[in-house]
Amino acid sequence: MVNATKGLFISCDIPMAQFIINYNASLPASQKFIIQVLDSTHLFVQPHVAEMIRSAIAEFRDQNSYEKPN
Amino acid sequence: MGHGEKGRPNKKHKSSAKEDHRIIVEDEDAYYGEEVDDDNRDGEKKRDFTKLELKPDHANRPLWACADGRIFLETFSPLYKQAYDFLIAIAEPVCRPESMHEYNLTPHSLYAAVSVGLETETIIAVLNKLSKTKLPKEMIDFIHASTANYGKVKLVLKKNRYFVESPFPEASDYVLKKLLKDEAISKARINAEVSNGSDGFTISKAKGEIGTGHEDLLSGAEVAAAAEEKETHAFEVDPAQVENVKQRCLPNALNYPMLEEYDFRNDTVNPDLDMELKPHAQPRPYQEKSLSKMFGNGRARSGIIVLPCGAGKSLVGVSAACRIKKSCLCLATNAVSVDQWAFQFRLWSTIREDQICRFTSDSKERFRGNAGVVVTTYNMVAFGGKRSEESEKIIEEIRNREWGLLLMDEVHVVPAHMFRKVISITKSHCKLGLTATLVREDERITDLNFLIGPKLYEANWLDLVKGGFIANVQCAEVWCPMTKEFFAEYLKKENSKKKQALYVMNPNKFRACEFLIRFHEQQRGDKIIVFADNLFALTEYAMKLRKPMIYGATSHVERTKILEAFKTSKEVNTVFLSKVGDNSIDIPEANVIIQISSHAGSRRQEAQRLGRILRAKGKLQDRMAGGKEEYNAFFYSLVSTDTQEMYYSTKRQQFLIDQGYSFKVITSLPPSDTGADLSYHSLQDQLALLSKVLSAGDDAVGLEQLEEDADDIALHKARRFMGSMSAMSGANGMVYMEYSTGRKMQGQLKGKPKDPAKRHHLFKRRFT
Repeated sequence: MVNATKGLFISCDIPMAQFIINYNASLPASQKFIIQVLDSTHLFVQPHVAEMIRSAIAEFRDQNSYEKPN
Repeated sequence: MGHGEKGRPNKKHKSSAKEDHRIIVEDEDAYYGEEVDDDNRDGEKKRDFTKLELKPDHANRPLWACADGRIFLETFSPLYKQAYDFLIAIAEPVCRPESMHEYNLTPHSLYAAVSVGLETETIIAVLNKLSKTKLPKEMIDFIHASTANYGKVKLVLKKNRYFVESPFPEASDYVLKKLLKDEAISKARINAEVSNGSDGFTISKAKGEIGTGHEDLLSGAEVAAAAEEKETHAFEVDPAQVENVKQRCLPNALNYPMLEEYDFRNDTVNPDLDMELKPHAQPRPYQEKSLSKMFGNGRARSGIIVLPCGAGKSLVGVSAACRIKKSCLCLATNAVSVDQWAFQFRLWSTIREDQICRFTSDSKERFRGNAGVVVTTYNMVAFGGKRSEESEKIIEEIRNREWGLLLMDEVHVVPAHMFRKVISITKSHCKLGLTATLVREDERITDLNFLIGPKLYEANWLDLVKGGFIANVQCAEVWCPMTKEFFAEYLKKENSKKKQALYVMNPNKFRACEFLIRFHEQQRGDKIIVFADNLFALTEYAMKLRKPMIYGATSHVERTKILEAFKTSKEVNTVFLSKVGDNSIDIPEANVIIQISSHAGSRRQEAQRLGRILRAKGKLQDRMAGGKEEYNAFFYSLVSTDTQEMYYSTKRQQFLIDQGYSFKVITSLPPSDTGADLSYHSLQDQLALLSKVLSAGDDAVGLEQLEEDADDIALHKARRFMGSMSAMSGANGMVYMEYSTGRKMQGQLKGKPKDPAKRHHLFKRRFT
């Protein structure tokens, strides 16, 4: 019997994939969103989490970039 | 950057300022738009410059003056040189890329301007002459307000009598009388000729300002007025009260900050020191200029001169000493630079061997005769604990002597309270501070203004590069992506203390480093320094690549051996250095720096490290614009992407970017076709390295702590911790500690000053 699951296909670079996996791991079991880790740069996740992942990455990026104060 | 582009694809070129300012040059409207983005990122208010009125012949004038005190200078204007000299005297340089400079008028910078002899009206007149627009009223008011009280009184040491002098006849009586109304000052006054005329002020003639070099910008009449001899009014003060008088004049009290000048030619009390510059010592134009600011009116002014590393600061120092020709106390940061300074004095001047001496913990020499040069360290002078008998004698001598010149090297590293101590211990007529990087992460720089004096001169790095006086450096930031395994560990919470070790030991970074070393050693025959603050990384890298390394614990003998081999041997072309190499180690041969880890966001460290390779190399004609080699030195900073290091790296570069350097970003190092040639190619090796990093103790992967670390605040944006003042100053380990086994003394472990009345009589003397 074939099961079809609707989801979101994410393609990114290696570190960001690790970031998403780590983020997923930090959430409680009920909120975990990764359906399948396909390889080191591709993930299959639940369809509603795109915004959440984006904002998490944006926040992470902000922490690592310096802006000159005026 | 700085304009909201955070995404990776947009960030290919990092010379933000340069790019932006180019736009200005071509299109004013674009510039205003840019400006708005920059300052109001939240985007409500816009800056309105429409009020500024363009002069009809604006094309011939080189600068834009804005109401908020900012000034922009076009460097391609034919008047650039004159305008630059003027602006550097009155304003603080903010950012100096190739075609457009930004300056800021501040009270401090105007104080400096007044102290080198520029008068309020001259400043406004010249500024107005150079500006494309009519000077905004706000700016004129600001200049008036800031300079109203500056420079009105001078403290002059003449024939060993202190005089408070005022060079403005019309205002002087008023100002001096106002000062005398103050109780402390009137007490300090020495009345030589009471009831001689109305006020009893001494009236004397002083030479007018010469050699400021702005005369050509003024009309003839104005020059005549400036060169005329001036009448000065003065009263004498008690030498013992000078400190008090000075204090009363500071902005928080009477607000007439005093300028200190030393009339060394008329000083007959202090014996002359017979020294001249040797004929082969030819000061370069910018060195001449900085000296002329110091000796503008035939007297010596106190202040700070800022020149990049490798541009010949020591020659400026030695020249100043030669001009004053009095006893000179030279302070350096450590024993190595003490040796270098003593060497420089012998190299450039005709001073006799027995007139110069070093005073460090290892060599305690004393000069014969009644005048001479003493080279020592800040720590030796400020040291508060018990000294050996011999050094006690020498320090006593230093204390009792009147020094003509107090020469202070690397002033930026010394915190304010240590300066106060040094300055209070030594009596000097004139203080000269030298530095390359007048930045500190803890913003204590402003203290220097009042402790030493204003900034007299600051050289433009790019102009020196163009002139071939310092090396032309290609700066590059190499982006090394984290490997999957390392990044997974980096993200884990339990590894937060090892984050630094993880991004430094990133195998991709190691490969990039190995590639660069090979490339420069084999293809170009360069001499390479690799910097790593992280000791764990330093040892791992050096062991793996089989290169010599030097860190804090390396003995003096071994250091000398390694450096000697590096300088002379063809076999040793790369040396690994920890933080110890930032300032003190002089390696003129090196022309490539690879930085694998650094002291967080310290701008100063970045600049100091770059300074290691700035000393000009090769033939002059090759170095000049259009010469054989475009770049003759290389500065690589290896950064692991997606980690904190990106933040620090950008922050560190700010100082150099402000000096006009641009960082090229390299994303594909090592090239993908280099496979197993370089280390850590296989996953297995990488995993082995990873487990090594993870199993190392937290203390092993941390930062190296050096005694000289004074700038710790750079580490994090805000971090509070308990610590002693001596640890902050870098005097750590030199504190006199009292240990006791008795129960009574338990509260007094650190020898803190307690209530003196309760102190045992045996110890009373030690603390007074």
